[in-house]
Amino acid sequence: MEKNYQITLKIHRYDPETERSWIQEYRLNAGRILRFVDLFRKINDEQDPSLAWNSSCEHGQCGSCAVRINGKPMLSCELLVENAVAYFNTTCFEIEPLAIAPVVRDLIVDIEKAYEKVDRAKPYIIKAKPQGQTAAEYAITPQELEKYVNATRCINCFCCAEACISSPKAFLGPNALLAGIVRVMDPREQEKAERLALLYGDQGVRRCHSSRACSFVCPKEIDVAYFIALAKTGRFNPQV
Amino acid sequence: MPTALQTSATLHCDMLIIGAGGAGMRCAAEVLEKRPDSRVIALTKVPHPQKSHTATAQGGLAAVDPADPADKIIYHMFDTWKGSDCTADQNVVKKICEAAWEQIIWLENRGMHFSRNQDGKLSKRTFGGHTLNFGERSAFRAVFEADRTGKGIMDTAWGESMKQGVSFLNQCITTELLFNGDQCVGAMVFLQKDGKFVRILSRATVLATGGSGQVFKVTTNCRQNTGDGLAVVLQAGLPVLDPEAVQFHPTGIVGPGILASETLRSVGGILRNKDLEPFMERYAPKMKELAPRDLVARAIETEIREGRGVLNPDHNIEHVWIDLRHLPPNVHAEQIPEVSGFFKKYVNLDPQKELCPVRPSNHYHMGGIPTNISGQVLNRNQDPVPGLYAVGECAAASFHGFNRLGTNSILELITMGKAVGESVLDFLQTAPQKPAEASAEHTFSLFSDYLDARGSGSIGQIRDALRTLMTAKVGVFRIEAGISEAIASLKELKERAQKVSLSHKGLAMNQELVQRWELDNLLAVSMIIARGALERKESRGAHFREDFPDRRDEFNHHTLASMSVFGDVALARRAVDMSVFSAGGNHHEKFNLIERKY
Repeated sequence: MEKNYQITLKIHRYDPETERSWIQEYRLNAGRILRFVDLFRKINDEQDPSLAWNSSCEHGQCGSCAVRINGKPMLSCELLVENAVAYFNTTCFEIEPLAIAPVVRDLIVDIEKAYEKVDRAKPYIIKAKPQGQTAAEYAITPQELEKYVNATRCINCFCCAEACISSPKAFLGPNALLAGIVRVMDPREQEKAERLALLYGDQGVRRCHSSRACSFVCPKEIDVAYFIALAKTGRFNPQV
Repeated sequence: MPTALQTSATLHCDMLIIGAGGAGMRCAAEVLEKRPDSRVIALTKVPHPQKSHTATAQGGLAAVDPADPADKIIYHMFDTWKGSDCTADQNVVKKICEAAWEQIIWLENRGMHFSRNQDGKLSKRTFGGHTLNFGERSAFRAVFEADRTGKGIMDTAWGESMKQGVSFLNQCITTELLFNGDQCVGAMVFLQKDGKFVRILSRATVLATGGSGQVFKVTTNCRQNTGDGLAVVLQAGLPVLDPEAVQFHPTGIVGPGILASETLRSVGGILRNKDLEPFMERYAPKMKELAPRDLVARAIETEIREGRGVLNPDHNIEHVWIDLRHLPPNVHAEQIPEVSGFFKKYVNLDPQKELCPVRPSNHYHMGGIPTNISGQVLNRNQDPVPGLYAVGECAAASFHGFNRLGTNSILELITMGKAVGESVLDFLQTAPQKPAEASAEHTFSLFSDYLDARGSGSIGQIRDALRTLMTAKVGVFRIEAGISEAIASLKELKERAQKVSLSHKGLAMNQELVQRWELDNLLAVSMIIARGALERKESRGAHFREDFPDRRDEFNHHTLASMSVFGDVALARRAVDMSVFSAGGNHHEKFNLIERKY
């Protein structure tokens, strides 16, 4: 099973102190099941400690390590060398930071800026429905939960927002919309009007071009476009 | 001339929370729900609170539902006490078990998407070590959100904190606690993105910095869990409780260390060595793969140590196999889809057709910053440090003693998070309106030294040597000679670290600079783990000494380790609280020093 690959990474770099941007090429010998985060670490340890990149959990649960690899937004902790070689049919990979927020250094973007859109969608219960019993859970059947549970699995890695063909200036973006849609569908949420106003407002679902790029790139395999389509067809608001 | 560093701004607040994971955010939400006018600043080392390690917890949250006729709080207390190998503090165990269900409802009412049963109520599942009637049979006690319970907690606690108006500072590190006399009045913080040091003066400070798993080569912990909170506390002259109490999960996936859950073994997975021998038969002839976690972990380590492991060349990690090939396709599809998916994704193999590589993986630090039952940090004399609190994995109240039960960790986050919030509210009632003055004494000289070092060496290579050393000598198996060697090697590694010259001297998002600081933290935490392990000449819970394989009554106490200067460790003891036993109520005899046998 032992097999090594000679990998070339062309990494887009940026130095905030000199405001210089350049592409740096790294060549490395990598085992078949090393992940791209392992390659970045290998570069730090063996070639260039100054290369900056983000990760946290490194097993696809947090979404910190999203970058563009040969143009495709993906989690660098989930991509193994041999799968990358097979998928892209090359051993040469161009790595870019996501474009959804300003670059801080190298592959690190200012994710807080991107999160501002999620914050606008208020990813919490604005006003809970009154409940008969105090100190008890709301009754939600598995069938009811099933309708929106997939939308709750979003980790805000912003791969969908990166892949989206709509203008990021005009559009709130797929993951932010998803955060709002979860609470539109959540029977515990009373404040539907404010949520629908955002969903059907200027930066809402009408800006979506239905390319389904969001669903195609989602590392959690959430059919984001399906939930946006529910909104577009007026499922949540008969008046639209 | 040393590099001149300076404080670029001073911020003021009522409560500073260092670490925006589940525990920190639950605490923030509590304070702001009760006192919405409070100024709360929450710091996190990760790019955003949602990226915290809390979000990776899979299994569930243990809590006794008062509507369940079979389960009782005292059973949960007993299981926790027994699991801890009689080293948890019983006052804390009682408090958390009694508070559990209320916190489940808090989360549910605020929007956590718990899995449901057909009646629309919260589903419950069983978990290792959780029983009814003092060990009689398994308890359905763990509520859960599919296989992403931690994410549910994180999203809910973060959402509530944001809704209530917490100010977040992301991607920053706390380099020093600030004191005025013996009172903690805030912290020095390095904002990584801007490359600036700011002073935050706060009326109350809460440490919620998480675990220290990066001390070990294979770990389920996230990249940022480098024991920073413990190192900062040590540097301030405060102790750490039970540093030697470190839990290893028997089956981490090679190489990232991702947890391959117990379920693999409970559905019939067979552990095999390089000769494909089903070796558990030799270690636990009756229970085999279903033996307790620590026994299985030691069996796997023994196979590897005696040359019957297999080397993964890519990650340079030795492992054994778990064989799932004989399990019917419906078991793969219905009972282990997530873990099967992990093997596919991270090892690129098909568990239905191929053997899967696993080895023990560091999982949890039971030890931590000592607190009382209200989360106040205790100094070496066991007096509360005014204005300073700790909660979550970085803290040790101690709920877990020397071995933590599955589903009890995220329960601790939310129950103690709320409790610490309450303590802070009480404290703020009487504390002066403006935090006292204090300035950094340590941060600038430390960081100047990092920036000015002109020797050679690689941070990554020293870190790798440290992690390999700790795994080999102070991991699943410990023995006097090995631990002593580790202590000597740690001192050498510290010297090597001090020589490392940074390739880049700018401050903005200089990961190398932060990694240099993390390396010091890893070294400090490793040193106290090793010293605690050396001193504890017995085996207790997750701490296993080959030269002293049994628990010994003379060690029925917590360890308190202090280390203001690297290598200069002072050890003391703290009594284990046995107030439930000594109260003498119904079933109090169950809370005596009992055997941890299942």
